[in-house]
Amino acid sequence: MVRIAIDIGGTFTDVVSETLNGISSIKVLTTSKAPAVGAMEGVSRILQDLSLTYQDISTIVHGTTLATNALIERRGAKTALVTTRGFRDVLEMRYEKRFEQYALDIEMPEPLVPRPLRLEINERVLADGSISQSPKDKDIEDLAQQLRSLKVEAVAVGFLHSYRNPANEIYVAEQLRTLLGDEVTVCQSAEVACEIREYERFSTVCANAYVRPLMSRYLAQLQSQLEAQGFEGSLLMMLSGGGLTTIDQSMRFPIRLVESGPAGGVALAAHVAREVGSSKTLSLDIGGTTAKICFIENGLPQTTRHFEVARAWRDVKGSGLPIRVPTVELVEIGAGGGSIAKIDTLGRLKVGPQSAGSDPGPAAYGRGGDEATITDAHLTVGNIAASGFAGGMIELTPAKAPAVIWRHIQEPMGMEDVKAAAAGIVELADETMANAARVHGIELGLDVASFDLLVSGGGGALHAARIAEKLGIRRIIVPLNAGVGSAVGFLRSPVAFESAISITQTINAIDVSSLTKRIAEQTNYVRKIVEEAVPEDRIETSVKADMRYQGQGLELTLDIDGKIELKDLETTFLRHYEAQFGFHLNGIPIEVVSISVSARELREEERSAVVQTTKSFSSANRDIYDLKLQDHIDYEVFERSSLSGALLGGPVAISEDQTTTLVRPGWSMKKSNDGHLVLDRNAL
Amino acid sequence: MTKPLDIVAQNVLWNRLISVCEEQANALMRAAFGAIVREAGDLSAGVFDASGMMLAQAVTGTPGHVNTMAASVNAMLKIVPPEQLKPGDALVTNDPWLGAGHVFDFVVVTPAFLNGKIIGYLASTSHIVDVGGRGWSAESASVFEEGVTIPVMHLRRGKQLNEDLLGIVTTNSRVPHEARGDILSLLTCNDTGVSRLIHLMDEYELRDLKEVASFIFGRSAAGTKSALARAPKGTYENCIQLDGYDKPIELRAKMTIADGRIDVDLSGSSKAVNRGINCPLNYSAAYAAFGIRALLTPEVPNNQASLDAITITAPPGLVVSAERPSPVSARHVIGQALPDLMLGCLEQALPGEVLAESSGALWTMSISGAGQTPFTSLNVALGGMGARPELDGISTTAFPSGVGAVSVEVSETAAPLIYHSKRFAPDTGGAGKYRGGLAQRIEIGSAIDEDMSLSAAAFERLTSGPSGRQGGKNGAAGKVTITDGTEINDKGLYKIPAGERLVLQTPGGGGFGDPLQRDRKAVARDLSHGLITEKVAQTVYQMTKIQTEETQ
Repeated sequence: MVRIAIDIGGTFTDVVSETLNGISSIKVLTTSKAPAVGAMEGVSRILQDLSLTYQDISTIVHGTTLATNALIERRGAKTALVTTRGFRDVLEMRYEKRFEQYALDIEMPEPLVPRPLRLEINERVLADGSISQSPKDKDIEDLAQQLRSLKVEAVAVGFLHSYRNPANEIYVAEQLRTLLGDEVTVCQSAEVACEIREYERFSTVCANAYVRPLMSRYLAQLQSQLEAQGFEGSLLMMLSGGGLTTIDQSMRFPIRLVESGPAGGVALAAHVAREVGSSKTLSLDIGGTTAKICFIENGLPQTTRHFEVARAWRDVKGSGLPIRVPTVELVEIGAGGGSIAKIDTLGRLKVGPQSAGSDPGPAAYGRGGDEATITDAHLTVGNIAASGFAGGMIELTPAKAPAVIWRHIQEPMGMEDVKAAAAGIVELADETMANAARVHGIELGLDVASFDLLVSGGGGALHAARIAEKLGIRRIIVPLNAGVGSAVGFLRSPVAFESAISITQTINAIDVSSLTKRIAEQTNYVRKIVEEAVPEDRIETSVKADMRYQGQGLELTLDIDGKIELKDLETTFLRHYEAQFGFHLNGIPIEVVSISVSARELREEERSAVVQTTKSFSSANRDIYDLKLQDHIDYEVFERSSLSGALLGGPVAISEDQTTTLVRPGWSMKKSNDGHLVLDRNAL
Repeated sequence: MTKPLDIVAQNVLWNRLISVCEEQANALMRAAFGAIVREAGDLSAGVFDASGMMLAQAVTGTPGHVNTMAASVNAMLKIVPPEQLKPGDALVTNDPWLGAGHVFDFVVVTPAFLNGKIIGYLASTSHIVDVGGRGWSAESASVFEEGVTIPVMHLRRGKQLNEDLLGIVTTNSRVPHEARGDILSLLTCNDTGVSRLIHLMDEYELRDLKEVASFIFGRSAAGTKSALARAPKGTYENCIQLDGYDKPIELRAKMTIADGRIDVDLSGSSKAVNRGINCPLNYSAAYAAFGIRALLTPEVPNNQASLDAITITAPPGLVVSAERPSPVSARHVIGQALPDLMLGCLEQALPGEVLAESSGALWTMSISGAGQTPFTSLNVALGGMGARPELDGISTTAFPSGVGAVSVEVSETAAPLIYHSKRFAPDTGGAGKYRGGLAQRIEIGSAIDEDMSLSAAAFERLTSGPSGRQGGKNGAAGKVTITDGTEINDKGLYKIPAGERLVLQTPGGGGFGDPLQRDRKAVARDLSHGLITEKVAQTVYQMTKIQTEETQ
C-alpha cells in the first residue's frame, strides 16, 4: 500500500509517495485552469515509478492554494451578502482606520461583495442573544426574488449578534436554500466563524461563499477522476490549522483550506521536532522571496484565529481581508534568497522586502538580474559554492555577484572590502529574521532563547547559526528532506477539526451547567466531523479558553478540560498573567472571551526511512569571510550524504543538493539516527 | 574610513531601536484597559540617549505623542536630575504641559544603567481611562476640574513602588483597578525595553550609545533636509475656521520654508476659551509637524534630528498654546485640525500635490446612563478623508488620527445601547476628479428604555465642511440631531430622553480637482453603488443619461 500527498502551488505541484521502503517525490507543473489534470499526472507518474496502481493507494492527502489564489485574483463566485437592516456597509467600512500612519496614498481592498449585492432584511438579535425582531417570510421571499434577478451564485448570510443566537440567521439561510435551489450556495456566518465582531465574521462568511462554488466543483472533479482510475482509499484535505479533514467538510468550509501549503511545512517541522525530542521548537523556513516563522510547543504548532488573506497594498499588514478560522500562526518576513539589498534615501542598508524572485533572480543567476540579493552576498562571502547550486539546476556566474554588491552597497557605504559589504548584507538579513522571531515570541509571551531552531528551505541552514546566536538559542535542527516539506508534512498530519464559541462573560457570571453543556455539544460536533475519517477510539479532544481582565485587550489562551471549575479558571489565569507581566491585578473581573474545542486523531509516529551510508568523508575546504574577524575562516566541507554519526566541531560546512549548513566556530554538529543534523552551541 | 563591522552594526542598531519601541508600544496597546484607548493606539514608547535626545519612537495611532514625548523626557530630567537616579528608579507625570496635553496621558521614564552609568532612557506614555474630575467632556472651566495632576516624581525607587502616589491616583479614579493596571503596564514596558537595550549593547560590545546616536541623527538630518528641499522656499499663510465650543474659532499659520527646515508661527489664532477644547503648545506642535512630515518626509523615522527640522511656535494664551489653568481635556478638537492648516500652506508651495481637507477632529461619542442604570460608553464616529492627488478619499476613516471605530457588537455588549443603523451617507464626499471620502450616518438608542446623557465636546465641522482643492468641492458638514427635535450646535452636554434616538452624520472629505474631469465610469459606479444620488450625478458631475448607459 502507498500513501500519497499532493501539494498544488502557484507554479509547481509536488507529489510525494510513502511506502514501507521510504519516501519519493516528483514535481510537475501546475495546470492552473484545471488543477486536477496536473495532480492526476503527478500521481500517475509516481505510481508508475513504484510499479503500483491507484488501487494500491490507501490515503491521499491534498493541499492547494486554489482558494487563496481565487481570493487574490478575485476569480470567485458572484456573491451576495444578506445582513441586518442598517448594516450593509460594515463589509466596506472595515476597521475604519488607516493601516499606515505616514503613507497618504494607501488603498483599502475592494470588498468581495460590492454594495449593490449587499442586501438588508428586517431582523434583530440583541447583545444578550434575545430576539427583538424575527425575519418575516414575505421579506425572505422578496429577497429570494431579488437574488434571483441579480443572478448570484453564492449568498452569505450575516446578522448582528448571531454568534450569540444564530436562530434568525439559520432560519433565513434555510429558507433561502429552499427558495433558491441547489444552484446557489448559501453560507451562514455563525457556522463559518462563531465569533463576536461583525466585520470579521461577515468578511469570513463572504470569503467562504465566494470560493465555495469553485472549490466544490474542483474537489468533486478530483474525486471522480481518482475514482475513475480505481482509487478506493480515503481522500483528505489539509486545513490551514494543521489538521486534515474530509472532502465533505472541505466543500462546506473551503475557507479553512487557504493556508494549507504553509501548514504542511509546519506539520513536517513539528514531526521532526517530535522525532528529535525537541519540546520547544522555533521553525524557520527561508525560501526564495520570504522567510516564515512558527513556534511549536510539544510538537504542536501555535495556531490563531486571526488571519489575513489577499493583502491589497504593498503587502502591508492590515490591507487584506480578515479571516477568522483556525490557522497555523506564521509570521512572514520579506527576506529570502532573492531579496534585494539596497541603500535607502537615508543612506541606510536595507534588505527586502522587494525580491528579484527567480526571474531574473539574483545577479549571479546570469539571467539579467542587476540588483544585489542575499544569494549574491552568500556567494561573495563564500557561504555557498558556485557549482551545484539548487541541486545543480542553476549554474551560478560567480563574477556577477561582487560586481553588483560593489555598485549598490560597497561604494555608496564607503566600505573597503566587497566581502565585508556582502557579509553586512547577510548580517542584516540575519538580524531581520532574528528580530521578527524575537518580536513574535514576545507577542506570544514566549522566551525565544529557550527554544530550538529548526530550519528549512534553501536558505535556512545558511542563516541558522548566526540567527541562533542573536537569539541566544543553543540548538539547531536541520531536517532531512526539507526540500518537499509541505507535501511530506501532509502525510504527518492528524485528522483534526477545531471550532470556537464566543462567550464574553465574567467568570462570576458564568452559568457553569449551561456552559458545560455548550462545550459538550461543541465537542460532540467536532468529534463527529473527525469520526467521518477516524475510528472513535483514536480521537482525542481538547478545550481551550481565551481569557482576559475585563476591559483589557490582551487575551491569554489557557488549556482547560471540558469540566469548568470557576476557581481553577481564575487561579490559572492569574498564574499565567503574573508569569508574563510580573504583576497581577486585584479587583478587576476576569472574563472568558471564547472557548475553542478541537478533536484530533491520535496517531503513531511514522519514522522516515533513513538511507544509511558507508561512504567515508569526502572533504574539501572553503574560505568564508567573517565580519567580526574581518578575515577569512577556513571551513572544512562535507557532503551530507557522507556523514557518519560522529561529532564534528565548527568551522564546518555541510553541503547537500538544496542547501548548505554552516556550522560556525563555537558550534558542533551530529547526525541523528533519523538523519537530521543537530547543531549544539559549545559551552562557553 | 569606518570599520565594516561598525557601519553594519549601526544599521542593525538603528533597526533594533525602532523595533524595541514598536514592540513596547504594541505590548502596551494589548495591555491597555478601555476598547477605545486600544483602538486609538493612544500611547507610545521611545528610546533616548544619555543626554535625553530621542533616538527612536514607535509609530502608533495618534501622532500626538511624537514631539510631546521628546520634550517631556527633557522636562522631567530637569526636575529630577540624572545624578539623582539609581538603578530601578522610574519617574512619572501626567502634567498636560509636560506630558501629552491632558491629564489622562501618563508618561513614565526609566533610566537604563550599564556598569553603573546611565547610558539611555526608555519612556512610554498611555491614556488612562479615568483620573477623576469631570471625566470625558469639555465642560470644565479650568484644568483643576479635569482630574488629578501628578507633578514629576518617582513612581519607583529601586525596587520600591511608590504606593502613596498610586493610592492618590486610584482614590481619585472612577476605575481604580484599571488605572493601577495601566500605570504598572508602563513600568513593565520600560523594564522590558531597558533589558532589550542592554542585551543589544552586549551583543555588539558597546559601552555607550554615542556613535549610534550620531549615526541616527546624521542620517536623519540629511534625509530630512533633502526631502524638505522638494518644497520651494518662501512664506505661506493659511487660515481655517472651526465651530468652536459655542462660537467660531480661527486657526492661523504662517509657514516659512527655508533651506532644510520649516518654521511655523501660529500667531493670530483665536485666544484660549474657557472650555476644555484648548490645546497646549506641545500637543499642537505634535499634530502640526505630523501634517508636514506625512506629506514631505514620510520615510524619515521619528527622532530628535528629524523633529528638530520643524518648529512650531505661538505666543502663549491662544487656543493652540493654552497655558495653565486653561481646561484642555478635549484638546484633540484643535490639535487634529492643525494638519489640514499646515497642508493648506503647503498647497501654495506645491500646488496639486496636497490632499484635500479631511473631516478633522475625531468625533468621540461619549454616552452615559442618565436613568436607573449607570454606564459609560466611548466610541468614535468617523468622517471622510480628503481626496488625494490621483486617488479618492477613504470613506469613514480618520485623518490625521489613526483611530478606528469599536465594533457595533462589542459596543452593544459593553453598554446598554442599540445601534439602529450605521451606513454610508450619500453625497457627503466632496465632488471632484477624485471624490472625498464618504461620511456615515449612525442612529443610536437606549437598549433599556432609559434617559441617556451625551457629551458633544468633539462634534466639530457642523457649520462648514472640509474644503476641496484644485477645483474639488467641499465635503458635507456634519449634522447631529436627537429625534425629539433637538439640533446639536455647540459642544455642551445633551440629554437623549428614553425612547428617542441620537442621529449623527459625520463630515465628508473634501474633493480634489474639477468634478467634470472625473472618469465617467467612476461617476457611474458611484451612482450604481448609491454613493451619490442621481441629482448630484446630473448637476455636479453633469453626467448625462447617455453616459450612464454607455458606462454600464
